[in-house]
Amino acid sequence: MSNAAAIRPGRPALPEWVRRLPEYLMIWVPLLLSAAHLISFSLWTIWISFTPSTLVPVSGWVGLRNYTAVAASRNWQIAFDNLLLFGSAFVVLSAATGLILAILLDQRIRGENALRSIFLYPLAVSFVVTGTVWSWLLNPGLGIQKLVHDLGWTSFKFDWLIDRDMAIWTIVIAAIWQSSGFAMALFLAGLRSVDADIVKAAQIDGAGPVRIYRRIVLPSLWPITVTVVVIQLQFAISTFDLVRALTNGGPGIATQLPALVVYDLMFQRSLLGRGAAAAVLMLLILLAVLLPYAAWRYVQRRRALHA
Amino acid sequence: MPITTTRRRLLAGSVATLALPAFARAQSAVKPRLTAISQWSAGSDGAAITALGKKFEEKGGVWQHSPVPGFTTEMMNKLRAQIMAGDPPACSQLKGPEIAAWSKIAPTVDLDAVVAAAGYEKVVAPDLAKLHKPGGKWIALPLQIYSTNMLFLSKRAMDKAKADKIPVTWADFNDLAEKMKAGGVPYPIANGGTRPDDGQKFEAALAGISPLAYRAAIMNLEKKALEGPEIKAAFAQVRKIADWMDPNVGAQHFSTNLKRFIEGDMGMMIMGGWAQGVLRNAGFKLEDFTIAPGPSNNGKPVFLLNADAFIFWQRKEADLQAGQTLMAQLVMDPAIQTMYSQITGSIPVRTDVDLSGEGWSDGQRRTAAALKDAIASNQAVLSLAHNMAQENGMTAAMIDVITEYVKNKTIKPEQAAIRLAEAVEGAR
Amino acid sequence: MRDHSFAPSRIWIYLVVTLIAAAWLAPLAVVVLNSLRSNEEIAQGSMIGWPQHLAWSNYPAAWSGFCVAETCSGIRPYMLNSALVTIPATIFSTLLGAIAGYAISLWRFRGDNWIYGIVTLGLFLPQQMRLLPWTIVLRDIGLINTLAGLVLIHTIQGLSFTTLFCRNYYVAIPHELIRAARIDGAGFFRIFWRIILPLSGPILIVTVIWQFTHIWNEFLYGVTFTTGQQQPVTAALIALSAAVADIPQHGVQSAAVIIAALPTLLIYLIGGKYFVRGLTAGAVK
Repeated sequence: MSNAAAIRPGRPALPEWVRRLPEYLMIWVPLLLSAAHLISFSLWTIWISFTPSTLVPVSGWVGLRNYTAVAASRNWQIAFDNLLLFGSAFVVLSAATGLILAILLDQRIRGENALRSIFLYPLAVSFVVTGTVWSWLLNPGLGIQKLVHDLGWTSFKFDWLIDRDMAIWTIVIAAIWQSSGFAMALFLAGLRSVDADIVKAAQIDGAGPVRIYRRIVLPSLWPITVTVVVIQLQFAISTFDLVRALTNGGPGIATQLPALVVYDLMFQRSLLGRGAAAAVLMLLILLAVLLPYAAWRYVQRRRALHA
Repeated sequence: MPITTTRRRLLAGSVATLALPAFARAQSAVKPRLTAISQWSAGSDGAAITALGKKFEEKGGVWQHSPVPGFTTEMMNKLRAQIMAGDPPACSQLKGPEIAAWSKIAPTVDLDAVVAAAGYEKVVAPDLAKLHKPGGKWIALPLQIYSTNMLFLSKRAMDKAKADKIPVTWADFNDLAEKMKAGGVPYPIANGGTRPDDGQKFEAALAGISPLAYRAAIMNLEKKALEGPEIKAAFAQVRKIADWMDPNVGAQHFSTNLKRFIEGDMGMMIMGGWAQGVLRNAGFKLEDFTIAPGPSNNGKPVFLLNADAFIFWQRKEADLQAGQTLMAQLVMDPAIQTMYSQITGSIPVRTDVDLSGEGWSDGQRRTAAALKDAIASNQAVLSLAHNMAQENGMTAAMIDVITEYVKNKTIKPEQAAIRLAEAVEGAR
Repeated sequence: MRDHSFAPSRIWIYLVVTLIAAAWLAPLAVVVLNSLRSNEEIAQGSMIGWPQHLAWSNYPAAWSGFCVAETCSGIRPYMLNSALVTIPATIFSTLLGAIAGYAISLWRFRGDNWIYGIVTLGLFLPQQMRLLPWTIVLRDIGLINTLAGLVLIHTIQGLSFTTLFCRNYYVAIPHELIRAARIDGAGFFRIFWRIILPLSGPILIVTVIWQFTHIWNEFLYGVTFTTGQQQPVTAALIALSAAVADIPQHGVQSAAVIIAALPTLLIYLIGGKYFVRGLTAGAVK
């Protein structure tokens, strides 16, 4: 930056920092506000998690009592297990769905615009609405099962929504439907930026389409896959409205998820301290996922620098 | 970043006394104004609060109602935000033990003088009155009452079962359900599967088996009662009810089943009096179903009270104070309560309102009669499922156990009873 | 691979794509069909079904008829409220995010990586957790119950996404371009307006789409930090859903859902192509 300034033609002698004040302000004020709200809100939540707050925040110190209460509750234990299952199943399956959709759309088919819009539109609709509609479609007495029964195949069974062990998969289904369009868009973007010359060269060498995909196209999608996984993970961890409308944690408490438990403790049960403790635990889970990613990025960047 | 707690600000004033003369003075000097928060926005709830607002305006007031649609939680978020901002509404919807809990975080209005002037205390069920005067002084006023354990009987299902007697005890109820099943009613019970719905099945069972045990275990959280045989018996009854339901209902709202209920594919529903309004609004005929008090083993009606109420928050503005007095007078007014209940399908809080006239349904008359009988025999108790018996944290912990039990048929009644006692200990 | 060299399999491709597309459209179809059935018809039948009598009246009722408590004006005024929050917040967060991304990627300054890391972490901080801190902040700056307060929240929270995506997009712009402009005497803003902004079309479309839909569909802050007449459209939609004591108004609600989703659906329909194009450049790095 300094050499750029030195080359500038002579101007009235305003100090450098005054002249550049507007740009500093435009860069730093929003970024600092954003960073400040994230840091202070997180610290505030950590603080609250050690207080006896119930309806409103109060000061005081209860040590780890909120944490032990949350960790001992059935709701949290179920939510934690569900997050592991839902998180991994959803991330893998929605990435896979997105990739398949992208590959299909990449076959120069007619109506690509319309199809792309169809796969993307769920992103435009609020989760509350889609959760409600899926709760009808997946309800065995109202939706798909009933439809198939009415068509004559009466032994057909699709009642995951009311099955304690399978209900979490209905959330996976709805979440895939809602968000794999985003993965599709990312993958499609990746497929479109594969170097056409390399593909052509491979074709001339007599490589078939499957081989080209396996050897050239898919490997080049690796960085996008990481982006997709991170974004879908963020979706998985913050899934809230969708579950609230689809199962509301049921049958019983079989589909609790951490975000649901946090909201429930903080605002439904008026146990702010415990809710904050659950939120902090949730952030810790997040860090456990994000730190490896950050490390991976760091290594990658180092490698790029040395290359 | 200026993040501090507001406790000092919130607790700065305790419940302050507003003397009646001050009210009177304010009323004559300014136009009464009322800021109110409630979750009543749609359907008959929305229509009723709108009608109340009209009455308020007819009396010369300025009505500023801010509905917060959705779950009660969102309404409470809004209320909490207003209180933390030092700007509580002059009055807001709040019910049950939450009145006591919330009154600790911001100063409320002492309504003793207005209540005494209206002679209201004499005509309110004693358990209900207690909830609205947590510190010994009235700070909130109940507006309407529902019973959460009314029994709805499908006419056609009764015909299929060749039965015409309304069941009185749980044994009668179980007999009738078996008869319906035998008579070709596939699912004798028509309830939905939401959390409050599951809670209602349990509270109806326990209170019907023993109102005393209900009072001791659910309202007073006595350890011995929580481990008593009545709890196990109630869970066993809930299992029967669950087994008679369509398993496919999942977590759907009870209204999903109304058609099958009326057509006699489902037989009975244990639901609040509001279901009558829902049936009517859905276009079903009143003669296709009967409403009776829920089963009670000792033959006398048991009434599970669910009452909506307004709490009044302290404000310094003269017009808001005048508005609060006017609102309090309106809420206690028998004519207003009549108007309100006739819109929503509830019954008036006042036990001295005559329901024999026009505008009341048989269901409402029976509910009101049941309330009177239940009060006389000390069998009017507070609903758990609708947040009347315990604060929300405790309620949610107990409903967790109940809803899990309803949805998981491998849990034994004995296990459920132990889990319930544990949940209570954990939430204390 | 993008020619027609393996044509025989193409019927198979169309079949699969059509099946998946049908599955994707099913929820929309349910809502559209319900929007043409009366509340009574749905209550007396099933939530999923073919309309017996086309109840077009659901649409005028949804648009300007149904009541939220005393106010019987349909979702129209609430749509306006949502627009008043969504449009400025989308513009501010996109513009500020673009400037920040541009500064971080092309100017590099001390601490840029740190602040970039922290800001993007904001993507992962759950919204429910931020509700009470925002209450305190809005109270202290006097913006509670104002649309300006909501704009502020969504602008600041939106920066996490916009900065991330803009920065990733601008990283691909050759530094020589900037260097040459600087030698010519162009400053920070002039380069941004003259060189960067004209190149930013695709990524700005991505951030605009993302921000617009997220803010438009937001409910929790919308009902907590507004009163009565200022509520967003999501609040009006929820008002139509089943209260425990009421018949669900599924017919009118479905019509309202469709009307309320039109702005975001249109944005996806129009922007979808650019969305993919923008992402091609934006998220890949």
